[in-house]
Amino acid sequence: MPERERALQSLPRTPRDVGPTADELLALVARGDEAAFERLYDVVSGSVFGLIRRVVRDQAQSEEVFQEVMLEVWRTATRFDPDRGSANTWILTLTHRRAVDRVRSAQAATHREDRAARLDPGRPFDEVSEQVDGRLEQRQVRRCLSFLTELQRESVLLAYYQGYSYPEVASLLSIPLGTVKTRMRDGLIRLRDCMGVTG
Amino acid sequence: MRTTSADLHTLTGAYAVNALSEIERAAFETHLTRCESCAVEVAELAATAARLGVAVESPPPPQLRARVLAAAAETRQVSPHAARVPNPRRVRWAGGLLAAACLVAAVFVTVQYTESDQDRQLAQLSSEYSRFSDFLSTPDAKLINGKAPNGATGTAVVSASRDEALFLAKDLPDPGDGRIYQLWLIGADKDPHPAGLLQSRSTPVVVSGLTGAKEVALTVEPSGGSEKPSTPPVMAMPLV
Repeated sequence: MPERERALQSLPRTPRDVGPTADELLALVARGDEAAFERLYDVVSGSVFGLIRRVVRDQAQSEEVFQEVMLEVWRTATRFDPDRGSANTWILTLTHRRAVDRVRSAQAATHREDRAARLDPGRPFDEVSEQVDGRLEQRQVRRCLSFLTELQRESVLLAYYQGYSYPEVASLLSIPLGTVKTRMRDGLIRLRDCMGVTG
Repeated sequence: MRTTSADLHTLTGAYAVNALSEIERAAFETHLTRCESCAVEVAELAATAARLGVAVESPPPPQLRARVLAAAAETRQVSPHAARVPNPRRVRWAGGLLAAACLVAAVFVTVQYTESDQDRQLAQLSSEYSRFSDFLSTPDAKLINGKAPNGATGTAVVSASRDEALFLAKDLPDPGDGRIYQLWLIGADKDPHPAGLLQSRSTPVVVSGLTGAKEVALTVEPSGGSEKPSTPPVMAMPLV
């Protein structure tokens, strides 16, 4: 039996919460293991698609970006370096980058100001609140978000869920550019400490 | 207040949530290679942001699964080589530098393709390329943004230690026939000093001799430039 199949079979075949981690699977994917990619798909596709859908909004475009991202995960798994962060972070960072790229290139065609004006800044947190009742980590995110000041929370969420650049966030919230940068950083630091994230 | 690289440190959050423009991202990534504490913080904040992604999970339409897996089966994976050199910090550095340099090189290619002497063009390109990538990696580089009423944006990378700034504009409207964009440095005396012409609307310009300057401004002038601004500024950005 080829080595990579043996490696995969030695991993427990159980549902996602107790199965092989994304890190273990990505290491196998890096060696061209298609079966591991299939299992990685099942582990991460919900987060990847959910995040894209949140940023991009449009269903058809979200599906396109999703397929591009998943294929990029396959193609560049070889470059993943576990010393620099977890597989999950690597995949979601890539996902967010692609979703934001899509929104920004679409935005070049429409008018930035219009898009900004239509937005109700209170929305992202409410939407998270609605959806995050389910799993433990979702409840933790909601709980930790509630420890942020309003400006910290809005700055982080407008950038992350709406894909706005910090100058756009600054004009939406009517705060100076320098302030929005520090609010994003302070907000994320507070979330990091609340969630016990170590990178 | 004297601001130096402290400004770049505060970009860790904006970087982690992808809220930087392309040029800022490139400059920041270059900065990361020189700033270990920033790199650690970025890793932590990126992991934190990823939790926000997990919190909104939603399953993709089931038919995409077979499509993605089939596409993967037909797609060759990239060589692992770039990521497997012994020192990951070095890779990160090269990546950031490359991104910044590509950005600048792309700008120069679009500007200079009309030059007939290709060798000269390439030599110039490569010298500008190293000049700009060198600039972006200055440890005290600080980023400043400006906006014109029509939505055009300006970004300046300012280095106090080099006494220089790199200015790059985006989406500037055509200044009109026989006219050109000109940069000005404005000191405490409010007197504008000519600081260079934008050979095209998207050409990066290096502005030297910042000492005493409080502001950088952009006006439309007759081609060849003016001694004093002849039109009101389309954009002005504070340097301090």
